[in-house]
Amino acid sequence: MDIGAVFENAILQFIGFNACYYAIAAIGLNVQFGYTGLLNFGQAAFMAAGAYGVGQTVSIFGISLWWGVAIGIGYAVFLGLLMGVPTLRLRADYLAIVTIASAEIVRLIVRSVKFRDQFGGTDGLKGFADAYQDVGVRIGLEPAGEYGFWIFTFSGRNLWNLMVGWSLVAIFGVIVWRLMKSPWGRVLKAIREDEDAVRSLGKNVYSYKMQSLVLGGVIGSFAGMMLALGNANVQPDNFSRNLTFFVLTGLVLGGVAKVTGSIIGPMMFWGLYAFLDSLLRELIDKPVRIGDFTLMQSTDVGVVVYMLMGILLVVLMVYRPQGVFGNKKEMAFEGR
Amino acid sequence: MTQPVVGTFKNVAGRQRAVQLLVGLLVALVTMAGFTSSAAAEGEAIRVQVKDQQRDAAGKTDNQPVVGVTVTVLDASGAEVGTAVTDDKGVALIPVPGKADYTVRIDESTLPDGLALSSESPAEQTVAGDSFVTATKIVNFFTGASQSESTSTTERIAQRFADGIRLGLIIAMCSVGLSLIFGTTGLTNFAHGEMVTFGAVTAYFFNDLGLHILIAAPIAVIAGGLLGYSADRFGFARFRARGVGLISQMVITLGLSIAAQNFFLWRFGGRDKPYLDYTNQVGSKIGPITITPRDLIVTIVAAVVLVCVALTIQYTRLGKATRAVSDNADLASSTGIDSSKVIRIIWVAGGALAAMGGVFRGLDEQVSWDMGTSLLFLMFAGITLGGLGSAFGALVGGFVVGILVETSTLLGVPTELKVAPALLILILILLVRPQGILGRAQRVG
Repeated sequence: MDIGAVFENAILQFIGFNACYYAIAAIGLNVQFGYTGLLNFGQAAFMAAGAYGVGQTVSIFGISLWWGVAIGIGYAVFLGLLMGVPTLRLRADYLAIVTIASAEIVRLIVRSVKFRDQFGGTDGLKGFADAYQDVGVRIGLEPAGEYGFWIFTFSGRNLWNLMVGWSLVAIFGVIVWRLMKSPWGRVLKAIREDEDAVRSLGKNVYSYKMQSLVLGGVIGSFAGMMLALGNANVQPDNFSRNLTFFVLTGLVLGGVAKVTGSIIGPMMFWGLYAFLDSLLRELIDKPVRIGDFTLMQSTDVGVVVYMLMGILLVVLMVYRPQGVFGNKKEMAFEGR
Repeated sequence: MTQPVVGTFKNVAGRQRAVQLLVGLLVALVTMAGFTSSAAAEGEAIRVQVKDQQRDAAGKTDNQPVVGVTVTVLDASGAEVGTAVTDDKGVALIPVPGKADYTVRIDESTLPDGLALSSESPAEQTVAGDSFVTATKIVNFFTGASQSESTSTTERIAQRFADGIRLGLIIAMCSVGLSLIFGTTGLTNFAHGEMVTFGAVTAYFFNDLGLHILIAAPIAVIAGGLLGYSADRFGFARFRARGVGLISQMVITLGLSIAAQNFFLWRFGGRDKPYLDYTNQVGSKIGPITITPRDLIVTIVAAVVLVCVALTIQYTRLGKATRAVSDNADLASSTGIDSSKVIRIIWVAGGALAAMGGVFRGLDEQVSWDMGTSLLFLMFAGITLGGLGSAFGALVGGFVVGILVETSTLLGVPTELKVAPALLILILILLVRPQGILGRAQRVG
């Protein structure tokens, strides 16, 4: 068994592209869930909004790729309003139900045959990211070239993705950190702790919640854009319930209501994921059998690791709901 | 009333119980383990599956096997390698000499009357040698016939309603537990869909071992009740006693949902599978609708069970206690109702009903690893429509949502999107009457 390779994979995933777009999504989710106490269980829908926004530009509308940013934000705002208007006056559970349902419907719509001409059906969209990749080439990163040192050697294309992605993480991290120090951010935290008290101070709670939901959703849409540009395609089944839940797991792992938590959490999530995945793959080079019954084979590894990640979320919430960096007091809200 | 428990969990006894829970999970893992044992093919073969995608009941394509179709496999030079006729599962297994390029051809004249290959499924498909992942390469043919064109509009409407009633009864059955758990503890259980899958999959497990489905089904229902019992005894009752917040508990259910779903995917596999009994029934005509005896019996049994549930809630002491706790747990406790016992009973009954719903759904459609998740959203729409937390609301709302989903295709909603109207109702209800049809208005916002 090559334990070195296992750690190498874990370290690469810790700073890899997956961790980076998860971190952007988690920063957005943190605004809603961590700071405002809004149960958005449909972050995948916002990510799909961003991804399809940039995907549609060249492939469907035939306009410049950069309009995609505006279109993606537009979709995300629309989704935020659609989910928020009926639910934000009600108790927290309703938002949870509507977001989880909307995310599923968004996925069904973008993969449907009916709307294939708009969203590309189950094949998704591709061939739109050239303009984005050209910028990387223009600053001197050859797509096929190798850059870096030791295990941190990336192709020019990957390095460009990582540079853009982590810059976005830094930008949104700073924006959210500043916002939450502002009076506006304090109102959000106050809403999380006691909505009625905030209302009695004359604040329009509904409006603040809506702003928080939309802001978090827009940040989430940037995660989707990054995913679409980095992979140079959009696949409808990327935006399943698992995506939402794993972003949430990453956030909870890092610690809610902390910008550092929302960035390092997804990195730890992917580091841990890659660690378990490579470790199991190393251990299970031939099917594990008990008698004639096959307990596990190498094709099961992905699924088993996902299962373990689900259990990780449960264990975290029971024993350490504040995650690694969080403050327990900030995870004690009741959401009524 | 649960105060004394608070201290005990934090000490060593709590740790021990956590260990017991883990051991229990492991035991469950091992017992469930027999799924993927079969189907180890000796040599290379092409497995041709002919499916009818015509009927579809909740946003998922429902594939019914097409029996008695002749398929032929030709090699790269055009010589015939083998020919076979699909069996009662719509499957024809044709052994081939090795992993090479083949052409699979279906004889369209042998398709049953009224069925034709769908436009996306050509009569001839090529198989590349390097596309054999395992020894068996699966080739699918789909029929998407225009059966309904030959039937009148009234018949189509009646048929949709009949299917809708069946789906509605199943949704209602599955969501009673979801709604009552919410009503009594305030918890929105996102893993409830997995309790439905658990029932269906457990029944499949015993069915696959050789037990008739009529024996496997009750076992699955009992197992569902046990699952509900353990979920409360070893999980949520503890969390309540420890003062784990509702939001945290909700996130816990999300984690359980991911874990359980991937467990099913691992042990059951990604393909939809029908139960072994009552698979290939011919529908008989009752008035304007065509229904198989299996579906008819499912409808009747589901209706009877739900009437019993409704009577229990309305008239028995337990039912009254349930409604009291659901209404106001503290007040109920102060009048001498043991609310933690009531909650335990609700978890057991809810788990058993969800499992039963899963078995019925598996009979109606097929068993799949994510069947509960796809029903969960319809359950939410149903219980929100009926009134979150109310038992009768769950029954009425689930029923209405089922009928609406099935009949929405009549109004031109594409079959693949027919669950979308349920989201629309959900949003409309929340805008107009957030407490639902039967819920009591509360101060909101």
